[in-house]
Amino acid sequence: MTDATVSLAAPIDVPAVGCTEHTIEIVSDAGEGAQKCGQIFGAVSAKMGNGVWTVEIIPAEIQPPPRVPDGASGYRIRIGEGPITNWGDATNLAVAFNEQVLLARHRLGALAPDAILLIEDKWAADDDADVRAAWDAAMVELAACNYRIVPVPMEAECLAVVDNPRKGKNMFALGMLAWIYQRDMDRVRDQIAYAFRKKSETIFEQNITLLKLGYDWAADHLDFRIEVVPAPITEALVVMNGNEALGLGAIASGMELCAMYPITPATSVSHYLGEVFERFGGIVHQAEDEIAAAGVAIGASYAGKVAFTITSGPGFALKTEFLGLASMIEVPLVLIDVQRGGPSTGLPTKVEQSDLLAALFGQPGDAPHVIIAPATIEECFHVMIAARRIAETFRTVVMVLSDANLATGVTPFRRPVPDAQWQAAPLDLAPVPSGQRAYDWNPVTGLSRRVIPGQAGGMHTVTGLSHDEGSKVAYSSGVHQRGSAMRSRKLAVLQSLLVAPTVYGDGDGDLLVVGWGSTKGAIEEAVDRARQAGHRVSSLHLRFLSPLEPGLKQIFRRFQKVFTVEINYSDEPDDPFITDENRRRGQLSLLLRNATLVDVDCWTRVPGEPLRPGAILDAIRARLPGGGAP
Amino acid sequence: MLSDTRRSQALAALVRPIAEFRTLVRDALTQGEAFLAAQTAGADERTTQARAELGRFADGHIDPARFAALFPAVRRADPAALAVLRQSVDTLRALIDRDTEMFVADVPPGGQLGDVVRQALAELGRALGAVSLIELVRSERYRAGEHERLLAPVEFPAWNNAARQVAPPLVVTLDGADLHAGALARFTDGREKIVLVVRGPCAPAPLVRCITPGTLVLQTADGRGLDRVAAFDGPAIAAIVPEGAATFLHDPATGREPWQRLVIWHSGEVPKRAVGGVSSWQMGEELKLLADQARTPFSIPGAGGVSSPATGAGDAVDRIASWLLGQSELPSP
Amino acid sequence: MTAACGLLPVLDQEEDTPSYEMSDYEGARARWCPGCGDHSVLTAVQRLLAAEQLKPEQTVFVSGIGCSSRFPHYLSTYGFHGIHGRALPVATGIRLHRPDLRVFVVMGDGDCTSIGAGHWVHAMRYNLDMVVMLLDNAIYGLTKNQTSPTTPQGFRSNTQPHGSWLPALNPLSVALGVTNASFVAQTAEWVPSHLYATLRAAYAHRGLGFVRILQRCPMYSSAVYQAAVQDPARIGLLVHDDGVVVPDLEKVYTTQVAHDPHDLDAARRLAGVTDRIHLGVLFRDPSRPRYEEIRRVAPRTAEERLVELNLELDRYAV
Repeated sequence: MTDATVSLAAPIDVPAVGCTEHTIEIVSDAGEGAQKCGQIFGAVSAKMGNGVWTVEIIPAEIQPPPRVPDGASGYRIRIGEGPITNWGDATNLAVAFNEQVLLARHRLGALAPDAILLIEDKWAADDDADVRAAWDAAMVELAACNYRIVPVPMEAECLAVVDNPRKGKNMFALGMLAWIYQRDMDRVRDQIAYAFRKKSETIFEQNITLLKLGYDWAADHLDFRIEVVPAPITEALVVMNGNEALGLGAIASGMELCAMYPITPATSVSHYLGEVFERFGGIVHQAEDEIAAAGVAIGASYAGKVAFTITSGPGFALKTEFLGLASMIEVPLVLIDVQRGGPSTGLPTKVEQSDLLAALFGQPGDAPHVIIAPATIEECFHVMIAARRIAETFRTVVMVLSDANLATGVTPFRRPVPDAQWQAAPLDLAPVPSGQRAYDWNPVTGLSRRVIPGQAGGMHTVTGLSHDEGSKVAYSSGVHQRGSAMRSRKLAVLQSLLVAPTVYGDGDGDLLVVGWGSTKGAIEEAVDRARQAGHRVSSLHLRFLSPLEPGLKQIFRRFQKVFTVEINYSDEPDDPFITDENRRRGQLSLLLRNATLVDVDCWTRVPGEPLRPGAILDAIRARLPGGGAP
Repeated sequence: MLSDTRRSQALAALVRPIAEFRTLVRDALTQGEAFLAAQTAGADERTTQARAELGRFADGHIDPARFAALFPAVRRADPAALAVLRQSVDTLRALIDRDTEMFVADVPPGGQLGDVVRQALAELGRALGAVSLIELVRSERYRAGEHERLLAPVEFPAWNNAARQVAPPLVVTLDGADLHAGALARFTDGREKIVLVVRGPCAPAPLVRCITPGTLVLQTADGRGLDRVAAFDGPAIAAIVPEGAATFLHDPATGREPWQRLVIWHSGEVPKRAVGGVSSWQMGEELKLLADQARTPFSIPGAGGVSSPATGAGDAVDRIASWLLGQSELPSP
Repeated sequence: MTAACGLLPVLDQEEDTPSYEMSDYEGARARWCPGCGDHSVLTAVQRLLAAEQLKPEQTVFVSGIGCSSRFPHYLSTYGFHGIHGRALPVATGIRLHRPDLRVFVVMGDGDCTSIGAGHWVHAMRYNLDMVVMLLDNAIYGLTKNQTSPTTPQGFRSNTQPHGSWLPALNPLSVALGVTNASFVAQTAEWVPSHLYATLRAAYAHRGLGFVRILQRCPMYSSAVYQAAVQDPARIGLLVHDDGVVVPDLEKVYTTQVAHDPHDLDAARRLAGVTDRIHLGVLFRDPSRPRYEEIRRVAPRTAEERLVELNLELDRYAV
C-alpha cells in the first residue's frame, strides 16, 4: 500500500464501558456511503473475533429526495463477545448524517431508549429556514426519549480534506466508530483498501485521511468508549451474506446453469454468480422473463445436470405452470425463492415468510415436491448441496425458501471444507438397458432412474399430459391414479429418511415455539432469555417443510402449548369479527395443525423487518401461565 | 526460449478446447473409478458416500444409511470386463497425469509434420477408445474378443463425428524448414485445432494452401488472432511464425466470400533462398495466392440474380465450387 | 454447459454404426385428422432426419401445446411435449446445456405468435443453432376452432363468431424485424418438395432457422389457404442459388421472384406483400452471433472446481 499510514496514537484516557454486545447503525440519505461504512465496520469486527450480524437499511426508492424520513438508508451492525445470530432488538449507538433519517429510525422504534446518537449538526445552522425549523422540531421529538444526543460537525471537519464532504463523511464516521469501539486500525485500513479496490490510489489515501480525521475528532471530543471484547478466532471463518452463500453453495454442488430474471431481493445471487460462475464452468442465463427462466432451467435439467433458477414472490407466481410440468415429468430442478413481503409487488426489499403455502400448494393439480428452508446464512451455503442431491435422487423439484433477512444479513460462519463428492456426478450417457422405461417407477417407492437425451435406447417423449411408465399419454382410467400415487410416494419415502428434529432446550415443558427459516436466531435468543427467567420454554426449528420432519406429534405432546413464530400475516384472535373458526393463521401453523391434529397457535407479524428477540419474548410471556411473570 | 514463450502462448489460447477434452477424459475416469469402487462397496462405504454427497446441511436431518439403502447395490461385472475397465482407467489416468503435455507434440528437425500429428492424435484417440470401453463395460455391452482393440491407439480417420466434435487440440513445435502444411489437410475436420509453433525461418505463407471455406487459418507473429482459433466452432490451423512471414486470418465466420473472410495484416517478404526445399519462386506463388484471395472484386457478378456464387448452406462441393468461382476474376458486367 | 458430450458413442470402427431409414424415425401412429397438413410436415421431417442421418438419441424435438405439438410423440427421437407457448425456453435450456444435441422446435400459431410471442422474439435474437418450425394453420384446432393471431380478419370462429376483429399478425414481418434474426423462410405443407428443401436449408443453417409452414386444418380453416392450393399463380417462389432450390417446381409454380436472401430490406418488403404468398428463404445470414457460442465456457473437472472454490472462500475468509 501507500505511505498513507496513519499514526493513530491518540492516548486512551477515556475508560471503555464493557458490554457483552452492542448494536450500531449508520443512517443517511441514499448515496452517502453509510452502507460502505457499516460494511467495513462489520467486516473488521468479524475479523477481530466479535460475533457479528449486519443488515442493510434500505429505502424503498432508488433515489428518494434528501432529508426525508422515508429515505433512510444505512447499515446496522450488531456485535457481541460471543456468536450473534440475529439483528437484535434495538440500536445502542447511531451515527446519522441528518436528523430526518434518524427520526425515521426513532419512529420505527429501532433505537434503544438510552441510545447514543451522533448527529451531523450542520442542519441546525442551515441557510434555509425550513431546514432549521425541521431540525428544531426533530430535536423536540427526540428529546421525548432518554437518548444521549451528540452533535458532530462532520462535514465541517471533512472540508479540511475534501471539496465535497458529502462524499467523504462516511469515512469520518468510520473513524469515530473505530475510536469508540477500539477497532484494530490495521484491519480497518486493509478493509478500506479492499472496499475501494476498484478505485484509484488517491481515493484510498483520501479515505485514510478522513478516517484519521474522524478518529482524532472522536478522541478529542468524546467522553465515552465502548468495549465488546472479541474472542480469539479458533477456527477458520468466512463472512458473507445469505445470497452469496446460496450462490457459492450452488457452485459447490456442481450445478452448471442458473437461469433467472432480475427480481429483488433474489437478484444479488446472480450478481455474484455472474461474476464468478464461468470460472467454474457454469453460466448465468438472464432470460427474457420469469417464465422463460424456469423453462430454460427445466430444459437444461431435462438434458443434463440439475440446473437451478432463482426468484422472489412475484416471479415465483409466474413460474407456477412450469413447476407443475417439472413435477409431472419428474425433472429434477432446484428453485430458490428469496422471500419478500407480498402479495403482489408488496415490500420488494423487506423480509417476509409468506410464500410457504404458495410454494407448497401453488401449482394447480397435485404437484408434490420438496421444500427446504435454511435457517442461517451458513445453511444457505450447505442447503444447496443437499437440494441438488435430493432433486437428482428423487427426480423432483426442490424449492429452497430463503428470505430478505438472510439475503442481506452478513455474519461469519465456519469456513466450509469443499468436498468433490458434493458435486454432481458426470453426466451418465450410457445406453439404457433394454426394457427400462422413461419412468420405471419402483412400485413401492415411486423412484425411477433418469433417462436423458443422448442415451441410446432410451428415446421417449416427456409430456405434461398424464402418462404411464413409458411416458405414453394416459387414455385409460387408472393411469392417472397410478401416476399421481407414484409422484406422491416419493415424498413419503424422503420423509422416511428424515430424522426427528432436535428440540432447543428441554424436551418437555410449558411452551414450545416452532419456527422455520431466518427467524431461528431471534427465536432461540428469546427462548434463552425466557429460560434464564425460569420459564419452561423450548423451541423447534424446521428445515424440511415438504415433506415435514417426522415425530412432530410426539414432540408437541410433551408441551402444554405449542405456537409458531413466523413473519407472515395472521389474524389476531381478539380482532373484530375474528373467531377461532374463521381466524386465518400463520402458514406453518396451518401445516402443523393439519399434520399433527394438535391445536398449534401462532404469533406472526409482518413489520417489513426481521423479528426482534424482545418481541418474541413478549409473545412467549403472553402464552405462559400467569402471563409469564417471573 | 522464444519458442517456449510461444508454446505457452499457444496453450493459453487453446484453454477452452483443452478444458473440454480434459473434462471429457476426467469425467469418464471418474465414472470408471466409481464403477470399480462400487463393485466392492459395502453398506458402510455407501453410507459414508451418501453422507458426503448430501453435505453438512443433512447432518442431523437425513439418515445417510437409509438414504444409501434406497438404491440396490451395483451388480457385479464379469472379471474380464473389469480387467479391461481397469486398463482403460489406467490409460486415462496416465493421460490426465500428463496434464497439458498431452496436447503438445514436437517435430524433430528433419521430421515429418504429418506423421507427428498423426501419431499424437492417435495417442489421444486411445483415450477416446478408453472412454468408449468404460461406457461399454458399465452398460454391459462389452464383448471380450471384439472390443479390446479399443485399447490401442486410434487414428484420426477412424474417429466418428462425435469424436471429431470433441477432438483434442494440438500444439506442435517444429522447424520452419519442416513446415509442409499439405500434410495437415486430412486433420481439418470437426472441431480439431492445430497450432504450429515455428522455430527458425520459414516460408512466408506456408499455410495458404490450407485455406478452405470452412477452415479457420491463421498465421500470426505476435499471437494476434489466436483467440479466434479456440472460439471458432469448426476446424482451425494456426502457425506462430517468425517476424517477416505473412500474417493473416482466414475466418469462415466473417463472410461468405473469400475476400470477406480473409484479412492480411502483413503481406510477407519472399526469402532469397529456398526454405525446406521450397524455392523462392514457389514461395512467391504462395504469397500471390494469398493476395489474390484477399482481393475484393469491383462488383459481384450476378448479384441478386440466380447465378451469384453460393456459399454456406450448400454441401461441401457447392462450397468448394463457389470458392473456386471466387478465385477467378470475372469481368464486371 | 454440461461437459462435452459425456461418454462418446463407440468409435466408427465399431461394426454397429447403423444407417437410418425414414421408418427408423417413426414413433407412435399419428392421430391427426385425415387431411391435416401436419402429416405432410411429419413426413418431410422424417425425410430430413434420414437424409442427415441424425442419431435418434442425439436429437430432441421440443413442442408446446396444440395439434402440431403432438409432433414429438410421432417420432422415435427424444421429445419434450411441454406447456403452451413455452417450447422455446425449454429448447434454449437444452441447447445451452447440451450443445452436442440437435434441437428442433415445433409450435403452432397459438404457441408461437400468441401466448409464447415474447419467447419467440427473444429466441430469434439469441440465435441458438436449432430449427424452429411454426406450423401455422391460422386457427386453434385442438381446442376446436378459436381465433389465433394469424387468423385472417373477418374469418369466423367460436371465439369471434362475427369474424376476427383485427388484421392477422404477419409472422414473417415480426421475425424479420427482430435484431439478430439469422434465418427466416416460408413454405407450405401442400408443396412437399419445397417443404423438405426448406427444412434442409434451415437445418444446414448455423443459427436459429425459423420456418413458417403454411398448414391447412381440414376441420376449421381449410378455407384460409384454399385459393392458394388451387391456384399456383397465387404463389411466388423465391429463387436464388443461396435459397431453396427445388428441381422441376418451376413447372407448377411459374411465378418466380429472384431474391437474394442476404438482402434484408428486400426480405422485409416481400414479407409485407399481401396479394401473393411467397415461398422460399427470405433471409439468411450465417455470420450473426450465436448465443451458445458466445456463452460457451471451458468446462471444469471436480478437482479444478475445488481449487477455485477454495480461492473463492479465501476471498470471504475472516
